[in-house]
Amino acid sequence: MAQFSLNINAQTYNIDVSPDTPLLWVLRDTLGLKGTKFGCGKALCGACTVHLDGNAIRSCSFPVSAVKGKVVTIEGLSEKGDHPLQLAWQEVDVPQCGYCQTGQIMSAAALLQRNPSPTDKDIDMAMSGNICRCGTYLRIRKAIHTAAKGGADE
Amino acid sequence: MSEVMKIKRRDFIKISGITGTGLILGFGLSAGARDKALTHFEPNAFLKIGSDNSIIIFAKNPEIGQGVKTSLPMIIAEELEVDWNNIEVIQAGLDSRLGAQFAGGSTAIKTNWQTLRTAGAAGKSMLIATAAGKWQISESECYAERGVVKNRRNKKQFTYGELAGDASKLKVPEAPSFKDPKDFKIIGTSKKGVDNQQIVTGTAEFGIDARKEGMLVATVLKCPVYGGKVASFDDSETKKIDGVRHVIKIDALGSVERVAGVAVVADNTWAAMKGKKALKVTWDYGEGASESSAGILEKFDTYLAKNGEIGLRDDGDIDAAFNKNEKAIEAIYEVPFLSHVPMEPMNYCADVKENECEVWGPTQVPGYVQRLASGITGIPRENIKVNMTRVGGGFGRRLMADYAADAITISHQIKQPVQVVWSREDDIQYDYYRPAGRYKLKAALDNANKLTAWYLNASTTSRNLFRGSQESPHTTEVFPDGFPAGFVPNFRMEYTPVKTVVPSGAWRAPGHNATAFIDQSFIDEMAHLAKKDPVDFRLEILGNEDKEMPYADHGGPTYSTKRLKNVIKIAAEKSNWHKKEAGVYKGFAAHFMFGAYVAEVVTLSLDANKEPHIENVLAVVDCGIVVNRSGAMSQIEGGIVDGLGAAMFGEVTIADGMAQQDNFDTYKMIRMKDAPKIEVHLVESKESPEGLGEMSLPMISAAYANAIFAATGKRIRKLPVQLSEVSS
Ligand code: FES
Ligand code: FES
Repeated sequence: MAQFSLNINAQTYNIDVSPDTPLLWVLRDTLGLKGTKFGCGKALCGACTVHLDGNAIRSCSFPVSAVKGKVVTIEGLSEKGDHPLQLAWQEVDVPQCGYCQTGQIMSAAALLQRNPSPTDKDIDMAMSGNICRCGTYLRIRKAIHTAAKGGADE
Repeated sequence: MSEVMKIKRRDFIKISGITGTGLILGFGLSAGARDKALTHFEPNAFLKIGSDNSIIIFAKNPEIGQGVKTSLPMIIAEELEVDWNNIEVIQAGLDSRLGAQFAGGSTAIKTNWQTLRTAGAAGKSMLIATAAGKWQISESECYAERGVVKNRRNKKQFTYGELAGDASKLKVPEAPSFKDPKDFKIIGTSKKGVDNQQIVTGTAEFGIDARKEGMLVATVLKCPVYGGKVASFDDSETKKIDGVRHVIKIDALGSVERVAGVAVVADNTWAAMKGKKALKVTWDYGEGASESSAGILEKFDTYLAKNGEIGLRDDGDIDAAFNKNEKAIEAIYEVPFLSHVPMEPMNYCADVKENECEVWGPTQVPGYVQRLASGITGIPRENIKVNMTRVGGGFGRRLMADYAADAITISHQIKQPVQVVWSREDDIQYDYYRPAGRYKLKAALDNANKLTAWYLNASTTSRNLFRGSQESPHTTEVFPDGFPAGFVPNFRMEYTPVKTVVPSGAWRAPGHNATAFIDQSFIDEMAHLAKKDPVDFRLEILGNEDKEMPYADHGGPTYSTKRLKNVIKIAAEKSNWHKKEAGVYKGFAAHFMFGAYVAEVVTLSLDANKEPHIENVLAVVDCGIVVNRSGAMSQIEGGIVDGLGAAMFGEVTIADGMAQQDNFDTYKMIRMKDAPKIEVHLVESKESPEGLGEMSLPMISAAYANAIFAATGKRIRKLPVQLSEVSS
């Protein structure tokens, strides 16, 4: 076990965990931030996506000892759950089972941060690491466009 | 550190609220509950109206992504005559008063339609009767609108809340009258998923998010060969890992659930996962170790070389027809094993005590979990409380409860609450796969180029046979009444199951996910042989006269050729099927299953390397009355993407009795760039509603394969499609 001080969603947490623990399990088990999901454990599905200094990373494959910087999870993406993507996701009625969606939103949020008006191609690229077994891809694409345009367009 | 504590405590309170109150989960959070004077009107277990005008509708079935937590309450709300925006939907637990509670066979809408309308209408009629009594007028002089009963004579009104107390004293009517469908205000509209906000903020509770005070986390290493046993194990390295508490050997249950293995129980998930990795187990693989994909294919071929063991249909004289008509095609089709891979890996929680037990987690069959728990622990079913969480995908995988059995068994042994978490590797390796199969087809045209003979000899790894079902092994695999049966004068269908240790299970649109590919591809082959347009060829077979065709399988007892022809015609029209354009290639397929009629058109283009790219997919669906339009469209879109993904990439292969795939690097999934545009048309209908969780999936592979043929002249008879072979 080892001590770590983490900045997550603009708060400081001091924790004592095994250094090889992936950030995912620190979030879920140690801190109770369960919006970040486990899907594959090998950086293949994107369910565990969070931001590290604004970049999307797969927290399942990121040991806590390597976390240097500010982490944002779905719980900290917006104060009131009103990030444009979170609103667009509801508007477009994206979720089916919903399990992949927090990871999808975090990947999309990182995309919009560096590219505020992405094309379909940009979206396909940025979202290629996120699997949705329910097949909500079309609505995800639509919701990203909706959010990029600054809100509901219909 | 204090921040950490705060979060933990809050989560704990929230969770214990859920597990402690079960059926009325979340209710304690609403402000009204604290009001002492509050009375409730609960005419049945489906709804609850408070004197504070709170309206709660209970969602009875597991929500696996098929949208029933929204669509089923819509039916109640419609007949109850309340404003959709003013209700709270709460997930029920397992409760016999709610009737059958499971997710499978796309049955929820169909089987609950009547019950839920009755539940809502009974509530409304009692509220109206109460108001009529208060005003001393007849009930016909009152009407209900948006949670209020109004007096037709004057402007007086009572809210449902004001009537709740007195309404409770009335007798519940057994056959209340229903609304005329033309007056529906909720059914047929688009309502967004009731948990959307929680989902997008990360607060929705999935099974894997359940927590209980003192809960430990367990992983289980099982034999990668089904039926194998632990010969011996060495846990010395495991026990050195910080946080590991117990290592337990688990024995087989004697049922199809694969539970035998070694469990590592730890303080947290990561320690349990590391502990599992550090285990050294010597397996007794058993008879399954000699199984391989090649061996199974060989068995298919041996069976297909002779007549099938089970004769399923024999119309006319197939041999004479083949002797007489030389225009014929014979072909072998093949489908692989598929894994379910729902996004939420298998997990389950159990808290087994002396004579009671509480469980919660993702399942499609909460009632079965209860029986299983009773069997494992000896605790009577009435003392086993089954809570339902959201389920991160089902697709048929969670009709099996092996992972729930893990949690129950371990908690029973260590007498502590336990959450079992499987890795993705466990999920793929310990799955019950979509059966693999080979299909020999032969069909002939007569002199007028009409389909005169059709012969199918099929062999698959039968799901029924695997689970030791009493039913004939073919019933989950092939459908003797399916199109074109009944339209071809000489028709024979035969089947032989392959017995294998490799587990077979139900995978979205079971059976149909293979037969629709085969039938709808081969019909296309025959259309081309007849030099007829594939759509016209289908319509010609179905004939001008409208018929009710006998259909003994799920979705029967008959299907309507009128409705089938209708979706085919609309799809042809909306896709401009008959208009030929250079560089645009189209494939068609249509299929009836589980009571719904679906036609699909895939449009392709070829890139510079002659590789096909899907431009768009069009689907026309007749599923009777549509309850939730947005939800229905979602299911149709999702089914198409899922079916295409399987057709493009899905394949599990077996060597030495083990699946050779174990995560998304080897078991490939469709991703955003491959998901085409989809256009859906729902047929306006007054027919009784059918479910939609599976029906758009089975024929998409055929529509795709037929489009590839149109574009390249290469016939796809084996899934997944190998694009490199197509474009070469
Ligand atoms: S769980 Fe991290 S990418 Fe799948
Ligand atoms: S919504 Fe179910 S996996 Fe994406």
